[in-house]
Amino acid sequence: MKLYIKIALWVVFFLALAGILAALYLFNKQHKDLQKTKPDIVISAIDLQKEFESDESGSTAKYVDRIIEVAGTIGSVKSGEENILSVTLKTGSDFSVVICTFPPGTDPSKFIAGNDVSVRGECSGFLMDVLLNNCVVVK
Amino acid sequence: MKRIIVLFSLASLFLALNAQKYMTRNGYIGFYSHTPMEDIKGDNNQAASVLDISTGEIVFQVLIKSFHFDKALMEEHFNENYMEFEKFPKSTFKGKITNLSSVDFSKAGKYDVVVEGDLNIHDVTNKVSARGILEVVSGGINANSKFNIVPEDYKISIPGVVRDNIAKNLEVTVTMKYAPAETK
Repeated sequence: MKLYIKIALWVVFFLALAGILAALYLFNKQHKDLQKTKPDIVISAIDLQKEFESDESGSTAKYVDRIIEVAGTIGSVKSGEENILSVTLKTGSDFSVVICTFPPGTDPSKFIAGNDVSVRGECSGFLMDVLLNNCVVVK
Repeated sequence: MKRIIVLFSLASLFLALNAQKYMTRNGYIGFYSHTPMEDIKGDNNQAASVLDISTGEIVFQVLIKSFHFDKALMEEHFNENYMEFEKFPKSTFKGKITNLSSVDFSKAGKYDVVVEGDLNIHDVTNKVSARGILEVVSGGINANSKFNIVPEDYKISIPGVVRDNIAKNLEVTVTMKYAPAETK
């Protein structure tokens, strides 16, 4: 009987420990390093914008919350609040582009309007433009 | 000659009308929650907004998925559990500057404004009113505002386990740098 209780206590102890460790792991889980994550979809900025413009809800289901790699020509480079960097990629439309938002600390000098670039990011969806968040430049 | 003058005045009228609208697609909207347990900050740098200085109408639109958090788990909870982004991917505000006459858009400077309108979050629309500052600068208009919202007003349910970690009242910060809307 005593042994029983001892075993049960150890089991409870290990379960509790595992629970605490799992909670700590989840709580401190880092964002995915997109540089090391394989993209779910690879597409050109022109095609991506075209798809969103012609079928927003279908494209939202297809692209949002996915990691996509977009190739295009840089239209403009802009620094926003808290050192966030916004880079637009040209599309077939004059009005609607692909906006790639880079995290703080990204060096703006590597983006030059007119140059071609491949960007990996998380697709947030479509407002006037297709929006990509937490972007990295694909080497 | 007369024709040229007419054309010219029509063209300038057209330009003047167009210059009434200001726009940004990289606006910042963030919120901050402070409790003794934890501070939580969500940042969105992909807010789109249009300000019409002739009518005072102002519109903001954000995608829920564009909010970024320091911790990956917070972002996941925010998107999936609280905001249910798959069902309600966007949040919008449509309103009006109520004291438009006190702003001189032709003169650089800071102006206190009050904006009233409908804020839609999580498919629930509430009337909100917020104070803000419009700053007329060369080549554009900057806008800043801070106001509070209560998640419960938007039927955002927060489970009991983390109830104490999330403030009852969230502080929302809005920072926009408007440029004249492109005419294309």
